Amino acid sequence: MNLGFVIDTTACIGCHACSTACKSENEVPLGVNRTWVKSVEVGRFPDVRRSFQVTRCNHCANPPCVAICPTGAMHQRPDGIVDFASDACIGCKGCTQACPYDAIHMEPESHTAAKCNFCAHRVDVGLEPACVVVCPAHAILAGDLDDPASEVAQAVARRDVSVRRPEQGTAPKLFYVDGHAPSLHPTAAGHGRSFSAAEVRAPTAVVEAPQAQGLPAGGPIAAAMIRVSYGAQHDVQWHWPIPAYLITKHLAGGGFFFLAVAALVGRVPAAAMTWGGLFGLVMTFVTLGLLVYDLDRPDRFLYLLTRPQWRSWIARAAWLLTAFTALAVAWWTVELVAPASALRPLFAALVAPVALLTSIYSAFLLAQAEGRDLWQSAHLPVLMTAQGVALGAAPFALLPGPFGEVAQTTFGVGLLVSLLVTLVGDLGVPHATDSARRALVLMTRGPWAREYWLGGIFTGHLLPLGLLAAGLPGPALAAAAVGLFFQAHALVMAPQAVPNS
Amino acid sequence: MGFSHRLAVGVADSLARILGLPPSRSLRTPATAETNAAGTAMPTFSEPGGEPVRLTHVQHPDGRLSSYPPPERWEDWTEWDSKAWPTRVARRYTLVPTICFNCEAACGLLAYVDKTTLEVRKFEGNPVHPGSRGRNCAKGPATHNQTYDPERILYPLKRVGRRGEGRWRRATWEEALDEISAKMRDSRQRRRDGIMYHVGRPGEDHYTNRCITAWGVDGHNSHTNVCSAAARTGYALWSGFDRPSPDYANARCILLISSHLETGHYFNPHAQRILEGKKAGAKLIVMDPRLSNTASKADTWLPTWPGSETTVLLAIARHLLVTGQIHREFLRRWVDWRGFLQHAPRVISDPEVLQHVRGSTFEDFERALVALYRDFTFERAAAESQVDEARIREAAEAVARAGDRLAAHVWRAASIGNRGGWQVARAMFLLNVLTGSVGTRGGTSGADWNKHVPRPFSSPPPNEAWSDLQLPPEWPLAHFEMSFLLPHLLADGGSVDVYFTRVYNPVWTNPDGFMWVEALQDEAKFGCTVALTPTWNETAWFADWVLPMGHAGERHDLMSQETHSGQWVGFRQPVRRVAMERAGRKVRYTWEANPGEVWEEAEFWVELSWRMDPDGSLGIRRWFESPARPGEPISQDEYWSYIFENSIPGLPEAARAEGLTPLQYMRRYGCFEVKREVLTPYEQAAAGEVGVDGLVRAGGQVVGVEVDGAPKVGFATPSRRLELLSTTLVDWGWAERDYAVPWPLESHVSPRHIDRARGEMLLLPNFRLPTLIHTRSANAKWLYEISHHNPAWLHPSDAARLGVETGDLVRVDTEIGWFVDRVWVTEGIKPGVLAVSHHLGRWRLADGEGGNRFSTAHAELLDEGDGRRGLRLRGGAAAYPSVDPDTSRVWWENVGVHQNLTHAVHPDPVSGAHCWLQRAVGVRRATAEERYGEVHVDTRRSMEVYRAWRALTRSAVDHSPDGTRRPYWLRRPLKPTKAAYRLPGREDG
Repeated sequence: MNLGFVIDTTACIGCHACSTACKSENEVPLGVNRTWVKSVEVGRFPDVRRSFQVTRCNHCANPPCVAICPTGAMHQRPDGIVDFASDACIGCKGCTQACPYDAIHMEPESHTAAKCNFCAHRVDVGLEPACVVVCPAHAILAGDLDDPASEVAQAVARRDVSVRRPEQGTAPKLFYVDGHAPSLHPTAAGHGRSFSAAEVRAPTAVVEAPQAQGLPAGGPIAAAMIRVSYGAQHDVQWHWPIPAYLITKHLAGGGFFFLAVAALVGRVPAAAMTWGGLFGLVMTFVTLGLLVYDLDRPDRFLYLLTRPQWRSWIARAAWLLTAFTALAVAWWTVELVAPASALRPLFAALVAPVALLTSIYSAFLLAQAEGRDLWQSAHLPVLMTAQGVALGAAPFALLPGPFGEVAQTTFGVGLLVSLLVTLVGDLGVPHATDSARRALVLMTRGPWAREYWLGGIFTGHLLPLGLLAAGLPGPALAAAAVGLFFQAHALVMAPQAVPNS
Repeated sequence: MGFSHRLAVGVADSLARILGLPPSRSLRTPATAETNAAGTAMPTFSEPGGEPVRLTHVQHPDGRLSSYPPPERWEDWTEWDSKAWPTRVARRYTLVPTICFNCEAACGLLAYVDKTTLEVRKFEGNPVHPGSRGRNCAKGPATHNQTYDPERILYPLKRVGRRGEGRWRRATWEEALDEISAKMRDSRQRRRDGIMYHVGRPGEDHYTNRCITAWGVDGHNSHTNVCSAAARTGYALWSGFDRPSPDYANARCILLISSHLETGHYFNPHAQRILEGKKAGAKLIVMDPRLSNTASKADTWLPTWPGSETTVLLAIARHLLVTGQIHREFLRRWVDWRGFLQHAPRVISDPEVLQHVRGSTFEDFERALVALYRDFTFERAAAESQVDEARIREAAEAVARAGDRLAAHVWRAASIGNRGGWQVARAMFLLNVLTGSVGTRGGTSGADWNKHVPRPFSSPPPNEAWSDLQLPPEWPLAHFEMSFLLPHLLADGGSVDVYFTRVYNPVWTNPDGFMWVEALQDEAKFGCTVALTPTWNETAWFADWVLPMGHAGERHDLMSQETHSGQWVGFRQPVRRVAMERAGRKVRYTWEANPGEVWEEAEFWVELSWRMDPDGSLGIRRWFESPARPGEPISQDEYWSYIFENSIPGLPEAARAEGLTPLQYMRRYGCFEVKREVLTPYEQAAAGEVGVDGLVRAGGQVVGVEVDGAPKVGFATPSRRLELLSTTLVDWGWAERDYAVPWPLESHVSPRHIDRARGEMLLLPNFRLPTLIHTRSANAKWLYEISHHNPAWLHPSDAARLGVETGDLVRVDTEIGWFVDRVWVTEGIKPGVLAVSHHLGRWRLADGEGGNRFSTAHAELLDEGDGRRGLRLRGGAAAYPSVDPDTSRVWWENVGVHQNLTHAVHPDPVSGAHCWLQRAVGVRRATAEERYGEVHVDTRRSMEVYRAWRALTRSAVDHSPDGTRRPYWLRRPLKPTKAAYRLPGREDG
C-alpha cells in the first residue's frame, strides 16, 4: 500500500469545496489551512487564463518533516501517509521549516503542528479523504499508487504529471495532471497587496521582480502578468529567540571549549575557571531557557529527552545540550571544590568536543530544514565554528596576562575567519537554488540588509576588530555579541520570507 | 493562551505521558447527554467506545476506498474522531439526508448527527442524490457554520421603538402567530392585495405558493426580475418554457453566457456535467467580458462588449444558415414557419426578406431566414463585440460541428445585464433551433421536462385579484413581478398591510437600496413587516418581526431542479428532529428540535393560516386541515406522506421493495429519481381532436399540434410550435422587426452610451463568486475566510490611465451616486469595463447586532436631506470573543463595498428585468477624504431614472389587444383567474 494523490488541474474549477470540506472534516481553525486552492493569472488580455492548483502536503516518500521532528510526532505510516500526533508534538516548528511546500502550520488551539494527513482516520475505516468525496469536478483522486489498476496509478502512468519542487529530493506523492508551471514554482509570483476576493495579510517581500518560472523571461508576455489571485497565507514561525539562542549558545559552548582546550594545552587562571565558567553556565541556562521558551508547547520540553527521534538534529541537539550542561556543571563544581585537580584533564577532554559541537550543531539543524535552502549552505558549519570560537574566547579576553592575550587573539582571529566565511559563503559562491538566491537577496539587499550589513558585518565583525586593535576587549565583546545576533537574525528571518507555495 | 498558562496546564499532560498514564483530553470533554448547542455553544460529541467497521472489509474487499458509508449503515455509523486522531476515539452517528439551502441547486447533504448529544458533527454530500451525486461545492460543508453560527437568531424578535431603530425584545411564537394572523385576517377581509410574500430563493417547489393561493390574495412577489427575468422572457417567447436545461454531459459543444463552472443555476450539478462533456470532447465556448473561472476553462473565450452578445450569436446563426449546417427537418417540423411567413410582412420592411415571404413553402422560409440575417457577418460581430474575428469564427465552427448536440445556457449574465437582454436568450435558443438541439441527447431541453413538481393532497382555486404593485400595466410581458420597483411604485401610491420577506434582502440585494430604506420606514406604506430569515440581514433590521427560520438541516421542503436530463425530487429535513424521532422521541413542532426556537416555514404557514381563519369563514382554514383528523391542522408527516404515496411515480414501489413506507423511504434517502433521461417530449403523441388550424384540443384546452399528420404534444406556445416570430410581441405593441424576431437591441451601455474618451466606463456588477451566494451565505466563516472583499477589477491600461495600482482606492460615480472601492488590476477584464462583484459589501447598523461581525462592516446611514443619503463604514470585520473560538481568529478586515446602493433601477420595457449593468460616469482615484466603502446617493435622481425607464414601456392600457393585462398564455408564478386579467374599465378582455 502506497497512498498518494493525483490532482487533475484540467478538471479543477477552483471552487474551494475541498478547502471547506477539509475544514469541516478536520475542524481546522480559521487562519490556517490544510489544503487550499492556489490561483494564478497568467497572460495578457484576451490571451489570459487563471489556473487552479489544489495545494497541500505531498505525502513525500522522503519526508523532511519526519526527519526533523524531534519526537516522532510527525511520522510516516506503512501505507505512505505522513501523519502527525498532536499529543506528541512539542511545538518546535522544525517541521514547518523542513517542509519545502508550506504544507505545515501550527494549530492555534493545540499549539501543535498540523497538516493534511490524508484523512488517515477515514482511510482506516475504508473511506476516501473528505476533499476527494466533495470535489464536484472529480479533480482530486486518492488511492494506492502501488496498485496498477487504481485510478491514481492509471493517471500517473497515462497522463502528463508533474510534482512541486522535485529538486528538493522529497519524492512527492501528489501528482498534478498538466501542472501549471507558474503555479508549481512558488517563486514565480509572490502575493501582492491583495487577492481578487481576499486580503493579503503580508505581501511577499520582493526586492527584484520575480523571474517568471515556466514562462519566457522578458518580452511582453512575461512583463504582462503573473498574478496570484488566491493563496493561503502562512505565519513566520521562528523569530528572535532562535538567533538569540544561537549567540548565547556560542557564549556557553564556545566558552567551555576555550576553557577545555586551554586546560588541555596550558594553564588556566583560577579567575577564568571560576568566573568565565560561571558566565558560561549562565549562558547555558539562558540557552536552555530560550529553547524551551520558543516551544509552542513548552510544557512538553521533556519529550525531547523521553521520546527522541534520532534522525532529528533537534533531538540530537537536546541530548547534546543536556550532556554539555551536565558536564559543564560537573566540571565547574569540581573545580570550585578542588581547583585544578587530577580530574581536570579528564573533564577537559570530555568537555572540549561536546562544547564545540554544542556551539556548531545548529548549522546541521538548520541544514535539515529542507524548506530553507539558504540554511543548507555548506559554509554554515565553518561559520558557526568560527563564531563559536570567537564568542567563546571573547569573555576571557577581558582577563589580564597571557591568557587574556591568547583569548584576544582567538577572538580576533575567529572574527576574521567568520567575516571571511560570511562574505565568501554568502556572496562569493553562487547559491544553487532559486529559493536560496532569493533569500540571500532579501538578506543582503532587502528588508534585512541593515541587520546584515550594519549589524552583522560592521557591528559584529569590523567594529569589534577595531575595538580589539584599540585594546578595548569589553566593548568588542558587546559589539560582537550584538552584531552577530543581528547577522543570525537576518539569516533566520530572510529565508522564511521566501514563499514555498 | 499565554506562555505561562500553557506551561502550567500542559505539565500534567506531559508527566502523565512520561509516566505512561493515559493523557487527559482537555480539548474536548466527552458528552454523555443530549444537548442542543447551536447558537449558544459549539457542539460536543459522545464517546460510545466500540470500533467502526472497515469498509474495505464489508464493501470493497479489494482494498479500494469508498466515498460514503453504504446507506444500509446510515442509521448507525461509527467512525474515528479526526481531532483526537491518531488516538482512536470512536464517534457514533445517525446519518440524516437533507438538501442544501444555499443556492437553488438543491444538492443533497448528509448530516452526521451524534447518537447521544444529537449535535450535527458535519454535512457531507448525499451519494444517492441524482443531481449532485454525493458531491458539493464549498457551500455544502459550510452549512455547519450556518448551523453553529454564534450570532444566529434563536427566538422570534419583536420590534421595540421606531422601525429601523434596532431595538428588539424576545417574543413567543404564540404571540407572533396571533398578532400577524390577526393583521392578515383584517387585511384579507378588506382587500385581496394587502398581503405580500416577497421571496428571494424559494428553496422549495409548491408549498408556500399553495398557502398564498389559499389566502385568496394576489400576494406572491419574487426576486425573478433582478435575476432571470430577461432570459425567461426570451426562452418563453420561443417555446413556452422559461428556463433551459442543457444536457451538458452528452454535448458536443457547450455554449455558455454564464459562469456555470463557478456559480449559477445549478453550479455544482451543472459543473460536474460540463466537465464530463468536456472530458468526452465537447468544446466549451464562454461569452463574458470578465475572465470568470468558467471562461478560464473555455476552449474559446469571447470577451464581448456587453450588449453585443446577440449580434455575435446571430453571426453564428448566419454561419449555420449560409453554410447550410442546419437541421432542416427539425425546423420544418417544429418551427412555426407558416406563422413567420404569414406575419412577417407586418414587421419586416426589408424587400430582400419580403420577396421570399410572399411564398408559402418551407424553402421560402429558409430563404427568408438567410436573407433576414445576411448582414450578421463575423466582421460585424467582431466590430461590435470588440473580439477578434477569428475567435468568433472558431466558436461558430464548434457550434456547427456539434450537430444536434449543442448545450447552450444563459440565465443572468448578459441577459439580465443589458436593456434588451431578453433577445440574448432568444438569439441563443435560435442556435439550438437551427441545429435541432432541442430536447435531444446532448442538446438543450426545457426546464419543465426535467423537473417533477408533485401535487399536494388538495389545491385551492386561483385567486381573483390583480395587484398593480406586482404587475403594473406598463410591463404586460414581464417575467415576473416588478419586485425591485416596489418602493418606486409605492412612491406613486398604494400600500401593503402585511409584508413578508423570506430569504430576501431587498435593502441590500436590490438596486437603489436607499429607496427601500425610505419605504420600509414608512408605516403608511408597509403596515406590518415580517422578516423570515435564519440570520440577520439589512432588511430584517427594518422589520417589525424577525422570525428565525431554519437552515438546510432544520426544515421540511420538497425540491426538484432541472440539473440534467432526468427528473428527481429531493426532501429537505430537520435533521435533529429526524434523529430524535429515530430514537423514538415524539416531536410536535420542528422548533422543539431546532436550535433555540428556530422554526420552519412549512409548519409556520399551517399554524398562521389556521389562526388567520379561526372559524373557517374566510374559506382558508380548510386547505390546512388534516384529511385524517378533521378539525385539526395537518401535520408535516401527513402532508408529505400524501405526496410520496400519491404524487411521485415509482416511489411507492421503490419503498415497498425495501419494506418501507414512502415517507420512511424519503426520510432515509432524502431523494428519489423519477426519470433517468427525458428526450424530445414534444414529439409525444397528443390525445384530442385536430382542428382546422392544426391544433389538437381536448376538453376545450389546446393540448398539441398536428405535425406531418400526427398529433403531437408540441410546445407550450400559442402555435404549439417554436415561435421565431412572436405574434404575442406583435400584438402587444412591439410590432417592429427588432422585437418580433431574435434581433439585437441597443443596450443602455452600448459603446454609444459609454464615452470612454471622457473617462466613462462600464460597471459590471453582476458576477458572483464560487464561494458565496448573495447574502444568505454571509454567516459561514469558512466561506468568508476565502472571499471577503470585492475590489474593482480594472484592466492595466485603465489602471495606468487612472494612475492606480492594486490596493489603491477609486471613486466610482454612477447615475445616482458614487462609491469608493479598492482596485484589483488584472488582465482578466476587458478594457473599459470595471467589474465589482455584488456578492460582498454587507453592513450592520449596530456594533454587535444585525449581522455577523466577520462578514459585515459596522456602518452608519447618513441622511443629508432632500433625498440625499449615504453609508459610511465605522469599522470592518474584526476578531471578537464568542462561543466559537474561531471568531477570535478572524484575520480579515475589509468586507467589501455595497455598490448596489448606487445603482439606478433599469426596468427593461419588455421583460421587466432590472438591467444590472451601470454606466460608471466617472472613475477616478479617491481623494484623502473619500474613504473605503463610502456610498452617497441622491434618491431624487433615483426616481428620475426610474421614470425615464418607465417612459420606455408600452403599457397594456394602450396596447393590450384584448383588454387584458397580460397574455394569458405567459406564465405567472401564481396565475389568478382569467377574470382577474381584465383591465379595469375594459370589457373586451
